[in-house]
Amino acid sequence: MVLNQYYQTIRGNRMKRNFLSISVAGAVMALSSLTVLSAGSVASASTLTSVKFVYDFPGPDMELIPVVVAAREGFFKKNGLKVSVEFPPSTSSTTQLLTTGSGDIGFITTSDMAVAVEAKAPILSVANYSMTNNWGLFAKPGSMLTLASLKGKKIFSWGDTWTNAMIPFVLKKAHLKASDVTIVTGANDTPLLMNGTIDFTTSTTNYAIPGITEATKSAPVGIVGSAAGVPNVPVWVYAVTHNYANQHGKNVKKFLAAIKAATIWASAHRAKAVADFIAAYPKSGYSKFYSTKGWNLTVPLLTNKAGKYFVQTNAQWTTLATALKGINLIKSVPAPSTYYTNKFIP
Amino acid sequence: MTKKKLLVNIFGPILSVVVLISIWQSIVVWGHIASYIAPKPLDAVRSVTSNWSTLAPLTWWTIKETVYGYLAGALLGAFLGVILSKIPLMQRVLYPLLILTQAIPIIALAPPLVMILGFGVMPKVVIVAWIVFFPVTVSVLDGLNHVDKDLLTLAKVFGANPLRRFVVLEMPAAVTQLFSGLKIGATYAVTGAIIGELAASSGSSLALYQRSASGALDAAGVYGTTLIMTAIGIVWFLLVVGVEFLATPWQRRSTARRWRRGAKPVLPNN
Amino acid sequence: MNNSTLLDLRGVSKTFGTTTALSPMDLEIERGSFVSIVGPSGCGKSTLFNVLSGLLRPDDGTITLEGNNVIGATGHVGYMLQKDLLVPWRTVLGNITLGARLKGKVTPENRELATGFAEKYGLGEFLNHYPSALSGGMRQRVALMRTLATNHQLLLLDEPFGALDAQTRFEMQQWLLQVWRDTERTVLFITHDVDEAVFLSDRVLVMSPRPGRVVDDLRVDLPRPRTLDTLVSPAFTELKARVLHQLHRERAV
Repeated sequence: MVLNQYYQTIRGNRMKRNFLSISVAGAVMALSSLTVLSAGSVASASTLTSVKFVYDFPGPDMELIPVVVAAREGFFKKNGLKVSVEFPPSTSSTTQLLTTGSGDIGFITTSDMAVAVEAKAPILSVANYSMTNNWGLFAKPGSMLTLASLKGKKIFSWGDTWTNAMIPFVLKKAHLKASDVTIVTGANDTPLLMNGTIDFTTSTTNYAIPGITEATKSAPVGIVGSAAGVPNVPVWVYAVTHNYANQHGKNVKKFLAAIKAATIWASAHRAKAVADFIAAYPKSGYSKFYSTKGWNLTVPLLTNKAGKYFVQTNAQWTTLATALKGINLIKSVPAPSTYYTNKFIP
Repeated sequence: MTKKKLLVNIFGPILSVVVLISIWQSIVVWGHIASYIAPKPLDAVRSVTSNWSTLAPLTWWTIKETVYGYLAGALLGAFLGVILSKIPLMQRVLYPLLILTQAIPIIALAPPLVMILGFGVMPKVVIVAWIVFFPVTVSVLDGLNHVDKDLLTLAKVFGANPLRRFVVLEMPAAVTQLFSGLKIGATYAVTGAIIGELAASSGSSLALYQRSASGALDAAGVYGTTLIMTAIGIVWFLLVVGVEFLATPWQRRSTARRWRRGAKPVLPNN
Repeated sequence: MNNSTLLDLRGVSKTFGTTTALSPMDLEIERGSFVSIVGPSGCGKSTLFNVLSGLLRPDDGTITLEGNNVIGATGHVGYMLQKDLLVPWRTVLGNITLGARLKGKVTPENRELATGFAEKYGLGEFLNHYPSALSGGMRQRVALMRTLATNHQLLLLDEPFGALDAQTRFEMQQWLLQVWRDTERTVLFITHDVDEAVFLSDRVLVMSPRPGRVVDDLRVDLPRPRTLDTLVSPAFTELKARVLHQLHRERAV
């Protein structure tokens, strides 16, 4: 159990909490996930279909707001669902929990999706969460951070699949070999960044900016997305097993309908949405400031240029797979349809 | 040791490992468990051998962290055990503090250690030592506190000073206990090194390799690295048992080897 | 005090709180003699030994050993208890030389002396054994050899055979007498066993408790060497009766 907490693959500044509080929070969560669901439900439970949602991280944070809002503001119930939220022991285990039937609908990164398909795990992405790649390198306010300044520096990594996949692109763009930088891995980047133990950290804008801003009172510097040389693909998706898609497609449809309604509502009522999250998970370890700033930075990521939610494209999956093959993370580029379907999108 | 006992001692453990692996293999095969959930035992081993050029240096690092940390912890533990036993005031002042050190979750310890000691071998060594020292301290303290009081009185009558009493009587008397602490420490040491590696690593480490394998749904890689970690732990434990075996011949032999001190060959009767 | 006096106690006393463990005692022990001390528990036998060995400082009086004042000093007597106190990690030879080790280094001379003792007194083939391989009687022999090897003239033996079975005990008594005769040491011997006291000794001191003191001092003039026949001789029986009478009278009071 203790070790498991270590296997967490972590993105952004999620690990501002220490490990101790995670285990405490975990216990609290088990209880509070029940309260999330009971909050809006008046109709008897038997009329609702149960769905187990598995997050990508062992504890809740503001990216969970659409699910929290859907539960607390009655969007799930309106769609005939009763959704329980589960937290995996580690990020990479979400796909495994889906394949073993411990979860129905999962929240994973697109790189998790790619390695799952490579490993012949029967997983299917049913919707994008975000539409663009907002991952990059970040440093303390006022630091010198350009691709040219990377050589010889210590760069923090969470050691997860996504970060492992992205760093080679950065090095390639900077014309550096792996040995030109020191990749260090740890449990929490912010303190290390603050006291100069590391030069740069890796994260996404919606996690790095609130975290570093909270710690330093001013915004970090960063190079993000194509500026950092990484392929412009969505970071997170909703995924199910082929089995679940075939047998419970209706549930997936209802789920995405509820999430869409909840996301639109949460984008319009941001303060209320954050309040819902804090009420559902008072011990998440994140401040109201952090969650508010994080959610504000997340909202624009959720729609494509046409203002649509969820829509996946052949191009995004081909780009990702080709890029990952280029760095030898996967061996072959399968047909994009192997990865996804848009047929459940409302 | 009789021949039969010897056979049981050697083949017993082998048999239990074989049975365990067979159960593992049959569950995976008959349960149709997907290879990304749990691998067949042989696949886990193959994953180690085919990636050995990558894994060997990582394994070597983990071994170093384990051994350095263990030796530091054992020395510190024995030293503290002696201090606590010899200075009653220390027992009162230091003992609660020592218990406190063990109540702190090791994982909470790692981040500040990384800040102070960086990403190299040092924080891992400290974590391993932190885990190992305590059982050693407790066992040494216990051993020293249970030395036969009459024996110490006898030594006093013989005119021995306290230092000689300690070196000649108390230290050897505590050796049996010391080894029980050392053995407990040996089983924990590699866990400490892995926790340290997960908390902070520069470049790569066995623990990170495992984490990446886990992220890539490479269950054979995950189980394979687990096998390596387990092997380090077992080999180290057996080494400690071996040292105990050599260091405490009186527990298993009726006569000393001739070359042992105080065991001059018996002169023929005149 | 004449020339043959080895140990001389004058007015030695010791109290613990309100208990007088040893009331002022005068005692002279002749060089080369074998003196037993009998008495019930709490009669001060052990206190006497602790004072003689230097573990306890008497409240009053003088103790002279071979002409030297030894009050409060240690390292001047051989001492042996009912518990053999052999250390399990040292061989028989290592245990016999333990006294030397505790005072410093074990020299080749120490080893030679120890080996000599062991061989002479039936332990030769066990020199290289660990104590765990020895019987109770053998272990006591080793313990006595260790006491002898400290090379002190005065040996204090505190119920050394108390834990042995009767058969072994008799063998050990005879063996002890042989060792004593050969090595010409002076023995002070605490025992509960009146037979043992009379059988072994030149003198038997009877002590009584509260306050601890010597109430009788008997000369045992039985011829040596003593054998099984000694045990059934009228003289032995008479002496034994007197000691028992003294002990009994004291207890009846």
